[in-house]
Amino acid sequence: MGEAAVIWGRLTSAFLLNCELFGLTLLFALPLGLVVAFGSMSRFAPLRGVVKTFVWVIRGTPLMLQIIVIFLGPGLLGFKTPWPSNSSGRMMAAVVAFVINYACYFSEIYRGGIEAIPKGQTEAGQVLGMTKTQIFFKVTLLQVIKRILPPMGNEIITLVKDTSLANVISNKEIIMMAKEYSAKGLIWPLFSTAIFFLIFVGALTLLFGWAEKKMDYFR
Amino acid sequence: MKKFASIFAAVVFSMALMISLSACGSSADSTASASAESAASEDSDLAYIQGNGKMVIGYTVYEPMNYTDENGVFTGFDTELATAVCEKLGVEPEFVEINWDTKETELAAKSIDCIWNGLTLTAEREANMACTNAYVKNAQVVVMKADSAYSSTADLVGKTVVAEAGSAGETTILEDENLAQADFISKTVQTDCLMEVAAGTADAAILDLTLASAMIGEGTDYASLAIKDELNVEEYGVAFRKGSDAAEATNKAFEELKADGTMELLAEKYALTLAD
Repeated sequence: MGEAAVIWGRLTSAFLLNCELFGLTLLFALPLGLVVAFGSMSRFAPLRGVVKTFVWVIRGTPLMLQIIVIFLGPGLLGFKTPWPSNSSGRMMAAVVAFVINYACYFSEIYRGGIEAIPKGQTEAGQVLGMTKTQIFFKVTLLQVIKRILPPMGNEIITLVKDTSLANVISNKEIIMMAKEYSAKGLIWPLFSTAIFFLIFVGALTLLFGWAEKKMDYFR
Repeated sequence: MKKFASIFAAVVFSMALMISLSACGSSADSTASASAESAASEDSDLAYIQGNGKMVIGYTVYEPMNYTDENGVFTGFDTELATAVCEKLGVEPEFVEINWDTKETELAAKSIDCIWNGLTLTAEREANMACTNAYVKNAQVVVMKADSAYSSTADLVGKTVVAEAGSAGETTILEDENLAQADFISKTVQTDCLMEVAAGTADAAILDLTLASAMIGEGTDYASLAIKDELNVEEYGVAFRKGSDAAEATNKAFEELKADGTMELLAEKYALTLAD
């Protein structure tokens, strides 16, 4: 029983790393995604082309590979590795990879949401003498948020589980911690990790359900 | 127990005496030249083995040294090497599975002629048995960028070292007083450790000598890496009865098998590293 308590404790502290990666990714990727979305909708064709190509590359390759490339790539190409040579460097590399990857996915969701707002609303704003920025923040944005909530919820739930991919560069998250035991022949910790993800995703599902209800006033 | 041992010793001694007496008797009847030869061969364990026409080799099942493959054929590095050596000595190999705990007793009792089973050479074993030169070695090696400064594991204190989780490399790190003070990162595969060192995200990797020497250096993707140190070196040899001249004969056979490339081929086949 004593050992089981130790294992649950270690799994929990390892899961905090998953949570940290999840939080930091959202913190940076949500705003960055909006920037990328504007880039891909730009009227300046070269910028639009560059951004769309970038989004294609990021969405077109596995996140696991991107993590490896971002962490090991600079050093293997002969540069001095930018990552501090301890475990925090590994975490930083994972956060950077996740932010870039998720910003690209978010940008496409944002773009879909923004383009779905009828053009008439923008025109009406212009007639009223509002600036473009005013139109976006005062008219478009809240409606966009309501529309993109379900696909965002979907993507964010995927992110929870994707955080495990960080172990490919030896970030000791919950799956890697559990594998330490399965390598010794103790397999229940590996399967128990599902509980952590289920609880986390369950909470997120409730949160999104509540947020969607709150947004009901836009019809 | 003590009493039993002394009776046993007395019996062995008297038997040895009888054998040597009868040997003297028989040689006395022979011609001068033959008597000189047989007197010499009486002390010669090699002559005893060659006289039997077979070398009885004690082993335990231990991959990749001695084991039965998926087709049911008894094989392994030691199995093939011993067969090749026996051919040089003009005897047939006879493999006998032994209990590893009583291998020395078996040897002394002449139920086997040698222990040939990835036996690690130690000072104690070399004092109690006639051991051959080392033919295979293994070690945990420190792999770093070729141009990095290294004199001992003390240089790695506070640096980042990588090894496969649960490997001998990890044990080496945990048991070495200097490496234990390094920032240890575990990987799921040994070969990933090399990629980290090449990328500069880790300062050193600790892994098997055999694997490291096959994967790094000139002509590989890891040309910039080098083996800086060998830790926990283990060398394998063959043990014959104490004072046996068969060990020397086996050494000579090893030299010949090295010269004609047989050893190298076997080492490659079983992914082992020959001793230098």
